[in-house]
Amino acid sequence: MTASLVERLLRGEPAALARAITAVETESARGRDILRAVQPRLGRARLVGFTGPPGAGKSTLVGAYVGELRKRGKSVGVIAVDPSSPISGGAILGDRLRMTEHAGDPGVFIRSLASRGHLGGLSPAASRIADLMDAAGKDVVILETVGAGQSEVEVAEVADVAVVVCAPGLGDDVQAIKAGILEIADVLVVNKSDLPLADRTRRQLKAMLQLRAARVDVAVLSTTATSGEGVAALADAVEAVWAAKGRPPPGTRLKRIIAEAAAREIRAKILASPQLAALSSAVERGELDVATAAAALVRALGED
Amino acid sequence: MTERPPKILVTKIGFDGHDRGSRIVAAYLRDAGMDVVYTGPWQQIPAVVKLALEEDIDVLGISSLATDHLLVPKLIEALREAGLGHIPVVVGGIVPPEEEPALRAAGVAAIFHPGASREEIVAEVGRLARLARAAVEGDV
Amino acid sequence: MAEPVQLPLPGFDQARARWRRDYEAQIGTDRVVRNRSGIEVKPIYTPDDWDGSRYMEELGFPGAPPFTRGIYPTMHRGRTWTQRQLIGLGTPEDFNLRIRKIIAAGATGLSLIPCNSVYRGYDVDECPIELLGTCGTTVNSVDDMDRCLEGVDLGRISTALNDPSPFTLLALLLVVAEKRGVPWSSITGTSNQSDYLSHFVANHMFFRLALPGARRVLLDHIEFALEKIPGWNPLSVVGQHMQQGGATPAEAMGLTLSTAIQYATDLIEGRGHAPDKVLPKFTFFFDISISFFEEVAKFRAGRRIWQRIARERFGAKDPRSWRFKFHGQTSGVDLTRQQPLNNIARATVQAMAGIFGGLQSMHVDAYDEVLSVPTEKAAKIAIATQNILREEAHLTDVIDPLGGSYYVETLTNEMEAKIEAVIAKIDAAGGMYRACETGLVQTMLGESALAFQEKVESGEEKIVGVNAYREEGDAVDVPALDRPAREAMEAQIARLVRYKEARDQAATRRALDGLARAANSTSDNVFGAVVEAARAGATHGEICATLRRELGFGDVLVVP
Repeated sequence: MTASLVERLLRGEPAALARAITAVETESARGRDILRAVQPRLGRARLVGFTGPPGAGKSTLVGAYVGELRKRGKSVGVIAVDPSSPISGGAILGDRLRMTEHAGDPGVFIRSLASRGHLGGLSPAASRIADLMDAAGKDVVILETVGAGQSEVEVAEVADVAVVVCAPGLGDDVQAIKAGILEIADVLVVNKSDLPLADRTRRQLKAMLQLRAARVDVAVLSTTATSGEGVAALADAVEAVWAAKGRPPPGTRLKRIIAEAAAREIRAKILASPQLAALSSAVERGELDVATAAAALVRALGED
Repeated sequence: MTERPPKILVTKIGFDGHDRGSRIVAAYLRDAGMDVVYTGPWQQIPAVVKLALEEDIDVLGISSLATDHLLVPKLIEALREAGLGHIPVVVGGIVPPEEEPALRAAGVAAIFHPGASREEIVAEVGRLARLARAAVEGDV
Repeated sequence: MAEPVQLPLPGFDQARARWRRDYEAQIGTDRVVRNRSGIEVKPIYTPDDWDGSRYMEELGFPGAPPFTRGIYPTMHRGRTWTQRQLIGLGTPEDFNLRIRKIIAAGATGLSLIPCNSVYRGYDVDECPIELLGTCGTTVNSVDDMDRCLEGVDLGRISTALNDPSPFTLLALLLVVAEKRGVPWSSITGTSNQSDYLSHFVANHMFFRLALPGARRVLLDHIEFALEKIPGWNPLSVVGQHMQQGGATPAEAMGLTLSTAIQYATDLIEGRGHAPDKVLPKFTFFFDISISFFEEVAKFRAGRRIWQRIARERFGAKDPRSWRFKFHGQTSGVDLTRQQPLNNIARATVQAMAGIFGGLQSMHVDAYDEVLSVPTEKAAKIAIATQNILREEAHLTDVIDPLGGSYYVETLTNEMEAKIEAVIAKIDAAGGMYRACETGLVQTMLGESALAFQEKVESGEEKIVGVNAYREEGDAVDVPALDRPAREAMEAQIARLVRYKEARDQAATRRALDGLARAANSTSDNVFGAVVEAARAGATHGEICATLRRELGFGDVLVVP
């Protein structure tokens, strides 16, 4: 059964890709089997991450960028991540409604994903779903997230090229863009460049980049996603970053994925460990310091 | 293995552009813990089918305040042709009583009229989603 | 004549204290009552709340600022409202049959609702046949318009065209007039779906062209009308869409006035017109909900604010610029599918709110609107409702009969403050165009719609037959549906195909190319080019397709 699904996935059948994504999204045994089976075939697609504050027009820009890629003959997969409600766990996935121009295009596969429990960040499955799209033969896979909390940094780790999108006049000015964002961007985009404050925002971003000598090479572009202005230049800039970086050795990415999965596992074990409560009480009573307690916990886990 | 919440597509086909009802229903379903893929109006039937396939949805909800429900039989036929006949289609909005039988005959799983309560909508959509998911998991 | 009231009134304080004691003893814990706009409503209003000492500033007399009591000196005592029932169903012949009956019965105005396919900017040969003619009339060509208006004297009947940008139906109408030798100077009526911002944020069905294009075509259309069709009202600002989309009555009024401010600014600052040239052309269109006193206060406050805007913001000197002329439609949102005949009672109360609110023109919803497209029988009851209110209940004998009520005057002042706050919020967001472009307005509507629905779900807001006083098997008297026959629509499509084959192809091509050029030039009047294209034989769908290509498809910003 799974074997035939994998074959169909590798042939690029959309129905098989959709089912495989659900299997991976739910962390099912079948999902793991699929990933193992397609692993040797991965690494062809380039993964471009889009992030930035809400209201920057990311989805519209992604839609326009997809259009540009299609013009250049590339097949495209899009993973659009929307935050889950912290209260109900449900989510409204509305990003693809800004990409309606690709609704009838078989060369574009869009999948919406709820961020799930992972507060403000990327669903752990997102990176593996990108792998499935890679396996299905997509030339470019786009990962789009709302830039809240941790997700900018995570997108940069997962993606080959990280595009950070901001808009003029969001908050008071560029200071509103969280610290750390400039460090992770390969390409910075000021979208909605038809707005009055766009030039000022662009100058501020450039000035801020110059304060951090390590990243003077970062391109700062202007786009107007709604009219398509600057989108071709964005595609060129992404290409240029890709060309300069080269293909990362597959091990780098896998090591990170394994490490993350292991870290999640260990954390779960730590939280479930019977020793944790005892050690915590000891620290509370002043008998132990936190570092010693932690070391004791790690030793105890190793003995399991 | 983690359970995926029911995944519902809320969309509009045809010409109508009133979205007060669909926005409220989308919020209800989200607040009940479901994932709601939400689109703008005027979706073409082939585009809805492609979206339903890519998103691997459990229930498809059509909001119709004018006469767009008259296109639903065509939509259901297109879903079946694409191998998505297992997805229950529900319609919410204004459906004249004498046109209900034709929609039921075409395979519409539920019709929510003005005045349908939050409780009723959430319960029925949730039930249909679980049935559809079970059918898919028994499959492939 | 009585002396003006002197405060404090003898015995007032003691009587009030006694009432409060009795009231509190009987009611136990009093609950807070709020109206739909969120204003707290007290159990009683007295001269404590409104003492009439500011009568001249706040009310004055009808026909003079601040117009609280009405925009004309005689109001409904002189001329009652225009009864404008919207009609449109099936083919041009179906429409023609219906309006000739109505005109024979004495109507001097007609209104045309086109098919939803027309609203979306398509011809019948581009659409699923199932949907054609189900909600309105299929009008695509000069030939169709000619048949719609056969036997109608265009110089004497005023026409309301429910047709958004690029206003092709008006272009078709003008060409028909030309062919019949009726001068444009005698054409009267209204483009009553010209408010593209309300389409962008709320009723998306009418939104055909992308925002910047829609903005430009509206202004061109207004300028064209000012110059060439002096009897035409090219602008109706549609608060109805806002309220039906979820806005509270105060929000709906505030957003509508902000929209009017945007259009006035575009015309006065953007296009250099004198305020007194353009403002008299402004008309408004509102939803009338069943929240009776709130609606009355909404309209009274709206009038007061608009005259202030016209005079203070835009410096208008001509009193015609200050008058807040509006059409009201009873709200379909309040109607229920359960026990549908109850909707007659609801529409009656809504209509009363509109009348006491001082409207100039009204449409009362048919009771079966929530079930389907209204039937003729139900539409007749809606007309009769208005006649009963006027002739039997004598609601029009006195001008602004609720004026001077402690409650209504207090509420009018409170609604005014709420509405002003909405206008200030939109001003702060950079004006209505910008506030729609960024989704601010859509978010406001969504939040208010959800908040109201939550109240219905919780039972705080009761709806008879829905969450209170329910009955099993209550869907009585279900009207018979009037769906157009498939053959009639097939014939309509065949007729359009023949029309396209028979016309001068080269001339049509040239006119459509000219339309594309006009759209790309900065100086040409795009609406003028639409009229040219219609004259040359281009159809509605072809004109819309050309402008979609040149100015962008009217995608809306959907905020889930």
